[in-house]
Amino acid sequence: MIIFADIMNATIIFAIPLLVVALGGMFSERSGTINIALEGIMIVGALFSCLYLNSVSKSGWGADHPLLAMLFAILIAGFSGIIFSLFLALASVSLKADQTIGGTALNMFAPAFAIVLTWAIQGQGQTTIEIPTWVRITQQSLGLTPSATPNFMETFIFKNLFLTTPVVLLFLAITVFVIYKTRFGLRLRACGEHPQAADSVGINVYRLRYTGVGISGFLGGIGGLAFTIAAGSGFQSTVAGYGFFALAVMIFGNWKPVRIFGAALFFALFKVIGSYTGSISFLPRFEGVKSADYIYQMLPYIVTMIVLIFTSKKSRAPKAEGIPYDKGTR
Amino acid sequence: MMTKFKKIVQSPGFSSFLASVASIGIGLIFGYLILAVINPSMSLYGLGKILFAGASDAERISKVLYQAAPLLMTGLAVGFAFKTGLFNIGATGQYTMGAFFALYAGIILKMPWWAALLAAMVGGAIWGAIPGICKALFNVNEVITAIMFNWIGLFAVNLSLLNIPKILDKVSANRTVNLAVANKSAIIPKAGLDTLFGSSYMNISILITAGIAIVIYIVLNKTTFGYELKACGLNRNASIYAGINAKRNIILSMVISGGLAGIGGGIYYLSGTAQFLVVKSLLAMGFNGIPVALLATSNPVGTIFSSLFVSYIQVGGEAMQPQFSPEIINIIISVIIYLSAFSMLLKGLINRLLTRQNSKREKEMELKASSVIDDSKSIQPEAANANHSESEDVNK
Amino acid sequence: MGEYVVEMLNITKIFPGIKANDDITLQLKKGEVHALLGENGAGKSTLMSVLFGLYQPESGTIKINGETVKINNPNDANSLNIGMVHQHFKLVEVFSVLDNIILGVEPNTAGVLKRKEAREKIVALSKRYGLSVDPDALVEDISVGMQQRVEILKMLYKNNEILIFDEPTAVLTPQEIKELMDIMRGLTAEGKSILFITHKLNEIIEVADRCTVLRKGKYMGTVTVADTTKEELSRMMVGRDVHFTVEKKDIPLGKVVLQAENVTVASKRHKNNAVKNISFSVRAGEILCLAGIEGNGQSELVYALTGIEKVSSGKLTLNGTDITKASIRRRSRLGMSHIPEDRHKYGLILEYSLANNLVLQRYWEPEFQKSGFINEAKVLSYANKLIAQYDVRSGQGAHTIVRSMSGGNQQKAIIAREIDKHPELLVAIQPTRGLDIGAIEYIHAQLVAQRDSGKAVLLVSLELDEVMNVSDRILVMYEGEIVGEFNPRETTVEQIGLYMAGAKRDTPASGNKTETDSKKQRLE
Repeated sequence: MIIFADIMNATIIFAIPLLVVALGGMFSERSGTINIALEGIMIVGALFSCLYLNSVSKSGWGADHPLLAMLFAILIAGFSGIIFSLFLALASVSLKADQTIGGTALNMFAPAFAIVLTWAIQGQGQTTIEIPTWVRITQQSLGLTPSATPNFMETFIFKNLFLTTPVVLLFLAITVFVIYKTRFGLRLRACGEHPQAADSVGINVYRLRYTGVGISGFLGGIGGLAFTIAAGSGFQSTVAGYGFFALAVMIFGNWKPVRIFGAALFFALFKVIGSYTGSISFLPRFEGVKSADYIYQMLPYIVTMIVLIFTSKKSRAPKAEGIPYDKGTR
Repeated sequence: MMTKFKKIVQSPGFSSFLASVASIGIGLIFGYLILAVINPSMSLYGLGKILFAGASDAERISKVLYQAAPLLMTGLAVGFAFKTGLFNIGATGQYTMGAFFALYAGIILKMPWWAALLAAMVGGAIWGAIPGICKALFNVNEVITAIMFNWIGLFAVNLSLLNIPKILDKVSANRTVNLAVANKSAIIPKAGLDTLFGSSYMNISILITAGIAIVIYIVLNKTTFGYELKACGLNRNASIYAGINAKRNIILSMVISGGLAGIGGGIYYLSGTAQFLVVKSLLAMGFNGIPVALLATSNPVGTIFSSLFVSYIQVGGEAMQPQFSPEIINIIISVIIYLSAFSMLLKGLINRLLTRQNSKREKEMELKASSVIDDSKSIQPEAANANHSESEDVNK
Repeated sequence: MGEYVVEMLNITKIFPGIKANDDITLQLKKGEVHALLGENGAGKSTLMSVLFGLYQPESGTIKINGETVKINNPNDANSLNIGMVHQHFKLVEVFSVLDNIILGVEPNTAGVLKRKEAREKIVALSKRYGLSVDPDALVEDISVGMQQRVEILKMLYKNNEILIFDEPTAVLTPQEIKELMDIMRGLTAEGKSILFITHKLNEIIEVADRCTVLRKGKYMGTVTVADTTKEELSRMMVGRDVHFTVEKKDIPLGKVVLQAENVTVASKRHKNNAVKNISFSVRAGEILCLAGIEGNGQSELVYALTGIEKVSSGKLTLNGTDITKASIRRRSRLGMSHIPEDRHKYGLILEYSLANNLVLQRYWEPEFQKSGFINEAKVLSYANKLIAQYDVRSGQGAHTIVRSMSGGNQQKAIIAREIDKHPELLVAIQPTRGLDIGAIEYIHAQLVAQRDSGKAVLLVSLELDEVMNVSDRILVMYEGEIVGEFNPRETTVEQIGLYMAGAKRDTPASGNKTETDSKKQRLE
């Protein structure tokens, strides 16, 4: 039984980065810009926040104020993401360049930059930025005492708990509210569906598209931090394709926040399931096949493809996304 | 004579060329700035390595040529797909598949090198067909499909290699066995070029790939097949109207693109000097095809030169160690890609600078052309070719 | 004179290479309906865009209620109580009527929307002006006439006093046009002032008080409508006497070229069929016109005829050969030519050269290629022949990249290509859309020449003038069915209009009618 709490906890930990990055992608696309650069944004956010965590850990301040340090790390991840995403916005919105190529350039730049920076700071060969252990929220750190034998709820919540989890869930709630109930959300959506209509009522399409991309930078950067934490072995200048996973989640969620959450959980489950073959009897173990864990590593990608094949025909993307807005066109 | 020179300088092709040169220049400057920030005293040394190391000795020159060959193939792959309206970001998966098929054919099936290369082409072609089929039949975004299959390909190849003991090296079990030991006939011949260049790296691969580039150029520009493929890429609706089978052509161009990338994998790993390592990250050679294609604006012949350039600076980057990380080259390359994203703008600017003496009528034509909207075309991942019908309302 | 609510004085607006407005003066009185008349390219939309703040004039003054103002963007225009209904509606399809109306002027507290407040105001406005709408309906689900009402409500919601309409009747049935005229009269009765752009003389006579005429960017004059005639207006508009009819020979009808039997085509937008069980034929030596408001199945029918879409059921025969399941290329080989509705979407590859576009339907023929290799010399000479014969003008001749050619010449290129195939059946959809009078006359002449030489022509048109003047026989389509057949010499535009609107029909209706089946237009 505990094993299921374990699995659910692990699923949530991996779903959180997918969720937050997919929400970011949604803001960008709903305003009209395809954000292929999410992968790069995640890396940049993770890079700077991990460097920060590493340095406050060394100084000791971090261990004394774990929650506060994590909060700052989250903010740093977010803001470095915003700055990086502005390059995409510049190319796509102002210069009206091809959005896919601009995004690909940023995706190449980010890991290279991360490696170079890590090399410069930590010296040649030290390619991993370690994450301190105090980032994990334990029952002790909150002043609670754990039970002698672990029970379901405790495992579910505390097996792996980081500040990023509740923060991202909060963002989800805020997103739902903002997109459907605020003036900003209405205008943002108008820019992605029919920018000429928005322009004709005096809305500044360029500014809103920049904002959409900026928000995707903020959420994407935080996603990078959340991913690195979930992966557990420190920052290694990669996010293993999660930026693109998040795009698939966004498409599967039909650009709607709550559905995106469901899609994120779905995909995270498949990512996680591979590590539990030993404990769960009905999961095939592929005896006789060497390095069989590669099969499970392929699983989330294969599942993603199957889902996309079934859902892409009916998908309802924002109508004007990917098309640079030109005031001159009427 | 003067007018002929003027014609060349004012042609859009020349502006493209200058725009590429400008992108390279800016990229190199940016790289230099990073070197200067990291280690100011050694920054000129680093820049020197990037610019000159590739030509410094026979060994290095051979390495440039020998690494340019697979790059040329992945560049051709990406460029070919671009010309037909698709973004083949899956080149690395196709490259990996190609390498696997080539090694299997060479090591296990004991085939000669040219057969193994054909096998590589088949492997890449199959892997390229998948995103093409998904796009044409199910309307799935080809960029995401290709990325998913990059990873699926990597894991599948790793899984296969680790389960075929004969293919692995006896000593280091995470790499394939040396071809000189397993099957000499699978190694790409050197045809005396190794003595000519004074390096064991050198073989005929660059010649093979340059030949393929020329063939691709002819196919794209001189055949009805090329006419149809480009039509599908430029305007899918019009090509359907013209009776062209757009779905079939999308799949076909991805198959060809994949096949080209696959040959690249075969070319590199059948050289006899490289052994395939089982790694957890995607092979860079596939991704580097993108800047190669962009710098040459997807022109197959131009790709020969851009692949030589990228290979050249990569060798320079290797030579910068241990003072600097060779990843700086990737930074330079990504800046070049970023700049090519608005090459249209650069090209237009340069062309306008060069043609200041244009007659008034020509200028009006040019401005009218640039005011007719919708530059960014089918290289947008999301569905429907959302081309609004252009009415003449501009001049009401 | 204090009675002018808008004065545009000596306005000049220049685009690169074109003087769209050349020293134009326009004055609008309070409470009047003022028409702005001119052909395509006369400068009407540009002038109104200047008033609405979308463009800035190079010189000239604008006065509102006697005060000189500067209008830099639509927000400025809105604060001066100027509103505009554009020809291509600026509505977000997936939003509700309510959200579309409040976009840009949303009632809110600290950014949070207060929809209830807006709803009350909208309901009150619609009652007062007789513009009934459902605030919660999605724009993509309502009819075009209703969408236009939403656009009008947008202006009223913002308390606009000066209302600009850009070609408002292009998308309406004759009945809806009458309703719009009534609405306009109601608006002016309440003190609003209306400017409306049109090239339709009947409407000006019907509803306008005064009319200003523009020609090629220049001001031609302002007349009081009650004191003028259609002939005088049209002379001011084009500068010469316009032939309202097309010369046609008397040709004996030949055999049946195209036969459509019980053709049904599914719709992509809704669950019912777009074309329901239609049967008709086209004979050699006739121009058959399919008339109807856009969205009643004409496009789908044509796509099925030409092979771009499949038929769900039914049979199509071309000169006796069954082409129901034939590929597009086979139909072309059997003698069908297609001048498409959207020349940029289907008709041309804009990045290709003119020569390459001219062989778009024939590049695979033995004349132009050998074992897959294109014979460039042959292609070039063929292109040059067509260019000379059909007077297709371009910057660099056969090597011109088509994108840089004008719309009229692009259309000529398509027509040259399709007619030079000497097709048994020429299918032409809206061939003259967006073109000037010269180009229109030319294209009509080509269509008639085809007919006179004994070929069959199927024309689909939304312009009633074209329908009446060019065709030999008219079939009206409504909601996917043929509801009436007419001889243009024996009927009137009003009669046809009734059939187009579904108010009358000669054939019994089939089942399922839904909201979504009604006249729709692609929103731009």
